[in-house]
Amino acid sequence: MRQSNRESAGHVARRASIENSLLAAVPRKEYRRLLAGLEPVTLTFGEVLYEPGETIRHVYFPGASLVSLLTLVDGHLGLEVGLIGREGMVGIPLVLGHNVSSVRALVQGSGTAMRMASARFRKEFRLSLPLQQELYRYTHTLMAQISQTAACNRFHVVEARLARWLLMTHDRVKSDQFRMTHEFLGHMLGVRRVGVTKAAQALQKRKLISYSRGDIIVLDHRGLEAAACQCYEVVKDMHDGAQAGYAMRKMRISAAA
Amino acid sequence: MLAPHTPKQNHLLAALPAADYERLLSHLELVPLELGWALYESGSQQGYVYFPTASIVSLLYVMHDGSSAEIAIVGNEGVVGIALFMGGETTPSRAVVQSAGYAFRLKGSLLKGEFERGGPLQYLLLRYTQALITQMAQTAVCNRHHTVEQQLCRWLLLSLDRLPSSELTMTQELIANMLGVRREGVTEAAGKLQAAGLIHYSRGKITVLDRPKLEARVCECYAVVKRESDRLLSRKTAIVDQLS
Repeated sequence: MRQSNRESAGHVARRASIENSLLAAVPRKEYRRLLAGLEPVTLTFGEVLYEPGETIRHVYFPGASLVSLLTLVDGHLGLEVGLIGREGMVGIPLVLGHNVSSVRALVQGSGTAMRMASARFRKEFRLSLPLQQELYRYTHTLMAQISQTAACNRFHVVEARLARWLLMTHDRVKSDQFRMTHEFLGHMLGVRRVGVTKAAQALQKRKLISYSRGDIIVLDHRGLEAAACQCYEVVKDMHDGAQAGYAMRKMRISAAA
Repeated sequence: MLAPHTPKQNHLLAALPAADYERLLSHLELVPLELGWALYESGSQQGYVYFPTASIVSLLYVMHDGSSAEIAIVGNEGVVGIALFMGGETTPSRAVVQSAGYAFRLKGSLLKGEFERGGPLQYLLLRYTQALITQMAQTAVCNRHHTVEQQLCRWLLLSLDRLPSSELTMTQELIANMLGVRREGVTEAAGKLQAAGLIHYSRGKITVLDRPKLEARVCECYAVVKRESDRLLSRKTAIVDQLS
């Protein structure tokens, strides 16, 4: 009974895990070993995976889910500094030899993920050179994203940043309609609620979105692209580039085998 | 006045066990870092990594339209050139000398080899990378929510922690570029700090006169970055000894 449960969990895991590009890039033999320590989970919008200063219990490899990294100041003001989807892993401090998160990790898009307990992850990470290489490279991509976000926040107006943020979400949730409160968006964009209201109204007036009581409907994706800052393209290229990179290295590995 | 230059003035290098330090020593080359000099341009390949001893290097993200924002500073606590060992082919940021001084540099290929040995140097470089990520994220949120004066205080204190002296060789124009604000904003903020007797500014040199008062004015972002750096890097000697 116990055995068959494990097997069926393993089966589900095998299918779900292909969604994450980092896991997909690890050679098959090593991946099989990783799989025994991976657990498929469903992450729901608003769930907090880490708080700043807390010990990290699990790392997460998102599949269809999307996780936002937030830095908080003055007790209530926040700012999104990174966004992790199927191209990445939540829990990078463990890769860098540290077990405490310095940011809040908040689920921004519900969906599947694979998770692994921290102790197990440390062990697997030490054992697998390909996993190390993929994760170091990914960490560097994430740093590029944090830098880029910092610059975007500095120079671009709220309306353009809101448009970019809605596009990034729209690309991932694969639905034209999603729920976002003003407060949530304020945290993401690092502005007060009234700033979010103004920007959302401006986009609504241009018939790019419809916004009412936290329900957002994207009406014109192309139009939103024109309204967004260039950073939308930059981050999209970064993510697409990372995914293409994994695929290429994977091809090289299988060709060499 | 200054002690002779030695790589041990950089805290990462100083934390290495003797055997690892000796192995690197003959490859470390002392270079003067002139104010405003770019160690790397965004998108370029990196030939060397730099371990600052008495200088501050600013990492700037450059937008498509050419405007740039500072995302972190590196001094004697760290190393410039993370991309080399993290496996990123190029750097997304520009690295510019913000306070003139010195650094020891090491060939990129050599550092990559050392990193791949997986010993104490790798351990130190990774922990430093975590501290750098925290600094980058905190700088982003600080730029968003805090005043120019608070940001200037944060910048001065972080720089002081990364320099052997209390004097910075730099210009207001560079500070303005770095904080991504207009020069007048920096002049005003620096003027206030000078009038209050916290700093002295003259001819491209900033001297910090009253550090405790500067700490009283700064936003929480300074403490967050400092705490994380201390936690990750200060006990490193003991940890490295344990490892080896």
